[in-house]
Amino acid sequence: MSLRARVAQRGMDPRTPSALETGRADLQAHRAAEAGAAGASGVAAGAVPAGGGLTGLRRAAAVAWKDLLLEWRRRETVAAMVFLACLTAVLLGFAFGGRGEVAPAVLWVALVLGAVLGVSRLTVAEAEQGTLEALLLYPGAREHLFWGKWAALTGLLTALAAVLLPLVAVLFGVAAGPRWPLLAGTVLLGIVGLAAVGTLFGALALHVRGRELLVPLLLLPLALPVLLAGIRLTEAILGTGRVGPWPAVLAVFDILFLLVAPILFELVVEEV
Amino acid sequence: MPALETVELRRRFGPHTALTGVTLTALPGSAWLLVGPNGAGKTTLLRLVATALRPTGGTARVFGRDVVRDAPAVRTLVAVAGAADGAYEALTPREHLTFAAAMSGRPVPPDLLAWAGLARVADRRVEELSQGLRRRLALARVRLLAPRLLLLDEPFTALDAEGQHLVEDLVRTVTERGGAVVLATHEWERGLRLADHVAVLVGGRLVAQGPRQGMTVERLRTLVAAGAAPPPVSAAAGGSGQ
Repeated sequence: MSLRARVAQRGMDPRTPSALETGRADLQAHRAAEAGAAGASGVAAGAVPAGGGLTGLRRAAAVAWKDLLLEWRRRETVAAMVFLACLTAVLLGFAFGGRGEVAPAVLWVALVLGAVLGVSRLTVAEAEQGTLEALLLYPGAREHLFWGKWAALTGLLTALAAVLLPLVAVLFGVAAGPRWPLLAGTVLLGIVGLAAVGTLFGALALHVRGRELLVPLLLLPLALPVLLAGIRLTEAILGTGRVGPWPAVLAVFDILFLLVAPILFELVVEEV
Repeated sequence: MPALETVELRRRFGPHTALTGVTLTALPGSAWLLVGPNGAGKTTLLRLVATALRPTGGTARVFGRDVVRDAPAVRTLVAVAGAADGAYEALTPREHLTFAAAMSGRPVPPDLLAWAGLARVADRRVEELSQGLRRRLALARVRLLAPRLLLLDEPFTALDAEGQHLVEDLVRTVTERGGAVVLATHEWERGLRLADHVAVLVGGRLVAQGPRQGMTVERLRTLVAAGAAPPPVSAAAGGSGQ
């Protein structure tokens, strides 16, 4: 007689522990039967598929694709980011009267403010739409979710920089000339670090009330090394400052957060 | 090895105790109906098993994997169709299933959209779909994940008769393949038709559990009412007087 049939023959009585005891007896019998079956087939029940690097890459790419596709269809986050960043640049342009020496600071302040807005929208929106739990319960390590979200945020910030760079160049009358690849590389390095710390703090803010306020409060102080390094390096590229230790500051910031943020992300999203 | 084994599983939310020591063993091939009034702890129990929440105490194992220590492995074995569909408004059903396939490392079965009755709306955005169609999408996603332990929280909500057959088909498919199902619903009659075991949860306590045989909706009502009733006066007086 099958296990299910044997179990079905038993009654259910809430007044005594007999139902539970019945289950235990069946369980022991089943364990004995299963031990033989597993030995014969060589396949253990509950075997977990291996999750190698390629699997992780595919999962991260899927998350990034999903986030960017949603953003492409809605255009909510990127529109808000571009609007805020451009408005900041224009207002500072008026305030400083288009003086070229402040262009690097305006560029990076506008970029960081845009990033703050993007972080809030991209991660928090997932929680507000009620999709976060389903995302977290997919099989595999949650580190892959971090990399996907990081890639999506990096993409959005790169799009923002693509709009912001020419705008600041026109507003302040500056040009990188033949050194534009250096400028682009510097901006990309800054975006990589900003996206890493932003993805982490976006997840951290999921646990608290007033998260829209908390993200800037957490992110802006931590983004200070990126902000300063970005400004100084851009000044050096435009010929108004020295390189100094800033490439190392930017590189160390990026490496530190790319190493630490995925691990911390797994911890902070553990229970949302 | 049990499909699901919880031992004295507890969960508190601040001062409120949602689960008070739940011990339950579901064998492979079994389908459990989990009943109880609102606030009994049914959803909390399912979320603990699914690794969405961490237990405050006790243990839960899915096919031998601990839900705390081995959570990533547990997530490869479990799938949840919850009360919320968890769908992205701006994606289409086809895109959702492509995403789920990439996330789970499983291919999308060619007949999955047709199975769920979503073929004609496969390329329409979720925001344009009815609640019933969204529920069907959630069921299709769960089917794609091919879980060994399927957790269903109010799966019949918003579904028509055909949609309810999908739930039945899912439960049958999982149990016939040696998996197990835990189904929490207030639609007890439908649940009883699907399940071969019943567990009654009241106030975070498991007040009764066992095979379904002989169980009726009326008997379930009695069990729930008995579990919800305050303890006899003499017992309460005895306890407080010591």
